[in-house]
Amino acid sequence: MMRRVAAGGIWLLVAALGGAACRRPAQPGDPLPGLSAAERQRFDRGRAIFDSVFTPATGLGPLFNADACAECHEDPVSGGTGDEVERHATAFHPEATGRPCDELVALGGPVFQKRVTPALQAALAIDSEPVPPQVTAIAARTTPDIFGFGLLDAVPDSEILAYADPDDRDSDGISGRPNRFFDGRLGRFGRKALVPALREFNDGALAAEQGITTPAVPEEETVGGRPIPAGVDPAPDPELSAAATDLLDAFVRLLAPPSPARLSGQARQGRAAFATVGCDRCHVPALHTGDSPIPALRHRAVDAYTDLLLHDMGPELADICLGQATPSEFRTEPLMGVRRMARFLHDGRATTLEQAIELHAGEAARSRDRFRALPAEERAALVAFLKTL
Amino acid sequence: MTRSLLVSLFIIAAPIAAATAQQPGGGPAHNVQGAVRTVNVRGRALEVTTGVGMALRVVRLQVPAPLSLTGLRPGDLVRVSYGARPGGYVAYTIERLERTP
Repeated sequence: MMRRVAAGGIWLLVAALGGAACRRPAQPGDPLPGLSAAERQRFDRGRAIFDSVFTPATGLGPLFNADACAECHEDPVSGGTGDEVERHATAFHPEATGRPCDELVALGGPVFQKRVTPALQAALAIDSEPVPPQVTAIAARTTPDIFGFGLLDAVPDSEILAYADPDDRDSDGISGRPNRFFDGRLGRFGRKALVPALREFNDGALAAEQGITTPAVPEEETVGGRPIPAGVDPAPDPELSAAATDLLDAFVRLLAPPSPARLSGQARQGRAAFATVGCDRCHVPALHTGDSPIPALRHRAVDAYTDLLLHDMGPELADICLGQATPSEFRTEPLMGVRRMARFLHDGRATTLEQAIELHAGEAARSRDRFRALPAEERAALVAFLKTL
Repeated sequence: MTRSLLVSLFIIAAPIAAATAQQPGGGPAHNVQGAVRTVNVRGRALEVTTGVGMALRVVRLQVPAPLSLTGLRPGDLVRVSYGARPGGYVAYTIERLERTP
């Protein structure tokens, strides 16, 4: 009897340890671990909306870039990256009194949609939203994956601001400053960190990318500043209900971050080089979430490799201004999931990680130069490390 | 009985009437917090940039006297309550929260 009980206990212990050791790493598109049944259900229902293909009759357009969230965020699954490239444009006037950046909102900016519905095409004889002559720069924007964005949303402002050093008081050549939305709140989403919150990022994307009105954005944007002609937008506003946008938000919010690959010996060496070179001064390895009504997002470390701050990247990469971001300032791109990307930097101009590093300048010039000075073996190790993220 | 009912109605109605009086001739108040885009002191007009995510919008407002536009300049962070009139939006209150650098 005792022997049977002991054997049973050992079996349970082995099963428990084995279960922990063999826990399947999160795959792209998986939900965060530890969701309640209700949260999981909302995640699944939200994914169906994310995958929904809209038509003009169901609210698409009349200006749009894609007919579904998953048209762009598709690779390797919904929520991933994609090969679509958007067009953003603004005007930067550094000598101006007040704000030097004009997002050209009154002229349809800063997102100038590349597609129009047949009805708008027929009414105005245009194939895309016209870019006004006032622009000083037009930017290409690739599609980022959005895995783990719920965790980034849950990082307190105070943690981000703790990394800011706008006057470079520590004299390391790296400043880092926050962008702020028009209402003064700290920004964190988007290549220029303009958008303060994930919910707004999602609601704004429905409007700006698909032309879908919601309770948060109940009116269509203008066409280059002109009202939309009567009769070309048949769906009644809001074109997506509050309940549907809530579910969509749940899907995006609860997407798990990419699981890093196992570190080889070479990658371990590269991780050390990543710190030695100083990449980690901006690509901060881990941020920490604060309180959240969702336990799976509460008090978690997120291996995002970003500080969510703006840094000057030099004139070669400069394109548009946005909010308080100057043309050469970009938010530190999160490196989580970078191994699955085919193109790098905000406009996809780099096709390899080495190229992307080489194109770093401005505040990153010192780290780039240290990378260049590394022996070939260590440079390869650093890249091997990046390919585990 | 009738008198007490009237008194009760007055007690309920008086604050509502007072609140309505704070919105001169316009619809119910909306609020926006954003950056001043343009100020037209002579034309008594104000434009505020706001939005949701990357869906940015400009709110165009008429600013009746005695609200003051003096001292406002592009880039200032403001909070505005406003309402709709047939001719467009009309500001009820304007509060400058932060001066542009």
